[in-house]
Amino acid sequence: MEFWTAFYAISFYLAILIFIGGLAYKIYQYAKTPAPLVIPTMPAPRTSSGVVIRVLSEVILFRSLFRSNLWIWLFGIMFHVALLLVLLRHLRYFTEPVWGLIVLVQPFGKYGGLIMILALFGLLARRMFVERIRYISNPSDYLMLVLLLVIGISGASMTFVTHTDIVQLKAFMLSVIYFDFFNWQSIPSDKMLLVHLAAVILLMIIFPFSKLLHAPGVFFSPTRNQVDNSREKRHVAPWALELEKTGN
Amino acid sequence: MKVCLKLSILGNICLGVLLSLAVSAAEPSSSVTLPKPPKAKQNFSDTQKCVAPIEDIRRNHGDYLKHHRNETMHKGIRTTQYSLVACINCHVTADSKGNYPNINEGSKHFCKSCHNYAAVSIDCFECHATKPETP
Repeated sequence: MEFWTAFYAISFYLAILIFIGGLAYKIYQYAKTPAPLVIPTMPAPRTSSGVVIRVLSEVILFRSLFRSNLWIWLFGIMFHVALLLVLLRHLRYFTEPVWGLIVLVQPFGKYGGLIMILALFGLLARRMFVERIRYISNPSDYLMLVLLLVIGISGASMTFVTHTDIVQLKAFMLSVIYFDFFNWQSIPSDKMLLVHLAAVILLMIIFPFSKLLHAPGVFFSPTRNQVDNSREKRHVAPWALELEKTGN
Repeated sequence: MKVCLKLSILGNICLGVLLSLAVSAAEPSSSVTLPKPPKAKQNFSDTQKCVAPIEDIRRNHGDYLKHHRNETMHKGIRTTQYSLVACINCHVTADSKGNYPNINEGSKHFCKSCHNYAAVSIDCFECHATKPETP
């Protein structure tokens, strides 16, 4: 199956280029976009370290979602924590020797996969059965959930039902990340694995153009990352400062 | 303005991390590390190397062993097709001095060579011997 080996290796390179390049561009764009006003949602921290805590509690605990809707928060946090465990577990395919922490996390990642699928079904149900959410849902909202479900279900089925040759798979992955161009170790051609990796590649490609950008985007939310110091300090937008200088 | 500047610094750091990740992946390494399990003592039959086709064994030996264990322990059915002891007898080989590889040291042991590579822990040897019963 040398065709699949070359096909997936080349697809991985293209996907990672689009993923990293696209993500870097979007982060650059977010960083360059000026916030003309001081608009933190009150009550807001009045020091920079307070802001760091606020942003971190948003990123790690989804604090504002917790306060606004408990059951959506539950599915959201379940999905993200499970995804983190699953991603950590997957590092065994990219490191040799495998790091100690990654060895420890293996069984947790295994069941994390099941929790991830459960949570994704919960989020899909929210989109389909909550009238108000269904009304504002676009095809791409469904696409992200379906893609992640395909990845999760195909992945878990390789752990729990129909196994692939993971030693050969790791050899393939290592040969890809060490750039053994056209000298790649062959990929195991089990259907589940090919579906799994194809869905991952699609997700990587679509990431920089999709709502999945909330991952870097959450750090750039002006209502959360600004210090509430508009009394102590006067903020003037750069363009307004220009006008003040020229006296117009 | 200052907020915007801080954010752009943060953005640049993120960019730098991503770039350095991309570069570190490009370290020169012509060939990839592969597990090197020692050769078995003999073929299972003239037509087949192991107790099942190699592709099958590589994917499913864990399930076979676990199934075999349940059949033996709970139902008292002891067969030889997927017997762990038979695996060990054929696959774990001694060096020239007659020493068997230690399962806790490195990846010289047949099972451990791949199980280390794929970070899959095994509990077989909590009870079972790691080397052949009869030399």
